[in-house]
Amino acid sequence: MEKKLSEMEYEEEGTVTDIEGTLRKKVAGMGIRVGKRLKMITKQPVKGPVVVVVDEANTSLGLNIAEKIIVEMKS
Amino acid sequence: MKVLLMGHPNVGKSVFFNRLTGANVTESNYPGTTVDFTKGYMKIDGEDVELIDVPGTFSLDPKDKAEEVAVAILYENKDVKVICVIDASKIERGVYLALEILEEGYPIVIALNMWDAAVDKNIQIDINNLQRILGVAVVPTVAISGEGIKELTSRLKEARPVEIDDIIRNAGGLT
Repeated sequence: MEKKLSEMEYEEEGTVTDIEGTLRKKVAGMGIRVGKRLKMITKQPVKGPVVVVVDEANTSLGLNIAEKIIVEMKS
Repeated sequence: MKVLLMGHPNVGKSVFFNRLTGANVTESNYPGTTVDFTKGYMKIDGEDVELIDVPGTFSLDPKDKAEEVAVAILYENKDVKVICVIDASKIERGVYLALEILEEGYPIVIALNMWDAAVDKNIQIDINNLQRILGVAVVPTVAISGEGIKELTSRLKEARPVEIDDIIRNAGGLT
């Protein structure tokens, strides 16, 4: 099942399948790319941030950015 | 010679700067401490070297004020060498930035900083293989204790531009 990163529940894990084109470069420097596994650990309402773990490192994203990243959930 | 210290926020660039120049720039344990840049001098093999402590940036695609400053400093200084400081336990994103800087044609050396923390986390890094693929010097360091700093400065003179195509070839092609 696919969902937006912003919709992931706490401790949910998944693999990035799509990132909105203009955003790709922006998040690549933070270790988020298509094919990367990540886990959501903290989420704040309204604007975010959403904190995810990628390669053992925490990265925080604004909700507006997290909405544009599509993740295939680990089943 | 002019040398830029570049890397992600909170990887220890300012600690390096203080170590290398004997200056006393503010360090703290949270990202975004350096918003303006600081300049200092050191001597390597009798030669005066100007060192610039560049604010942390995740990529050369600036997202905020400090990153804009960082990228502007890089582009304004064409004839420089770059010490790319990477948090050894977050090596992948660090190498991404290093590649971006290499892509712009700058000669770099890589400091795998916080090496002790990476060892504590059981992270193993094949330095020789990394050097072979990237074609640049990679030195494990612990800036706070000073470990690896001598080797880092002595290998600065090895730094020369690398073609991205060579790196792709050394890495065994694109996947």
